[in-house]
Amino acid sequence: MKNNLKALRAEQDWSQATLGDHLGVSRQTINAIEAGRYDPSLHLAFKMARLFKRTIEEFFEDED
Amino acid sequence: MLIYGAVTEGLAWVPGSSDFPAYAHYALALIPIVAIFFVFWAQWRFAIEIDEFLRLIQIKATLCGIACVMVIASGWGQLERLADVPTLPMFWLLPIFWTVHGLAILFISIREGLFQ
Repeated sequence: MKNNLKALRAEQDWSQATLGDHLGVSRQTINAIEAGRYDPSLHLAFKMARLFKRTIEEFFEDED
Repeated sequence: MLIYGAVTEGLAWVPGSSDFPAYAHYALALIPIVAIFFVFWAQWRFAIEIDEFLRLIQIKATLCGIACVMVIASGWGQLERLADVPTLPMFWLLPIFWTVHGLAILFISIREGLFQ
C-alpha cells in the first residue's frame, strides 16, 4: 500500500530509528512500511495517525 | 539446543548405559525433552516481544521449518515402507527444523530488505 510516511518523517527530521522508537517498533519495520513491502496493522496505523496528528487516510492510499 | 545435542549424542556414549535399568533410560530421555520445551518457550517469548513485522518473518521461517520437517518425515517414512532405505532416527527432525528455520530467517530477511 502506498504511503507518505517518509515525507511525514522528513518533516519532523526524524530518522527511521527515531520514528520506530516513537511508535514502539523497529527501524526495519519503518523501512518496510515506507518501501511499501509491509502494510502495518490497524493498531500501528492508529499510532502513526495519533503521532502525526493526521487521519489514516492521509497516510495510506488504497490502490484497489 | 546445545543441551539437546549433547545429551542426544552423549547418551549413547555413557559408559555402562546399556546396563542401566529401564526407568533410568526413560529418565535420561526426559532431559532433551525438557531442553526442547525451554527452546520453544524462549522462541515463543521472543516472538511476543518483537514487533509485528519481525514477528511475521519469524512465523514465515517457522512455517518453512515445519513444512520441511513434515516433508522429510512423511516422505522418508514412505520410503522406509516402500523402498530399502535406512531408518531415520526421529531425533534428527529437531536439528533439521532449526537449520531450515535459521536459513529461512536469513533468506526472508534479505528479501524483505532487513539489512538495508
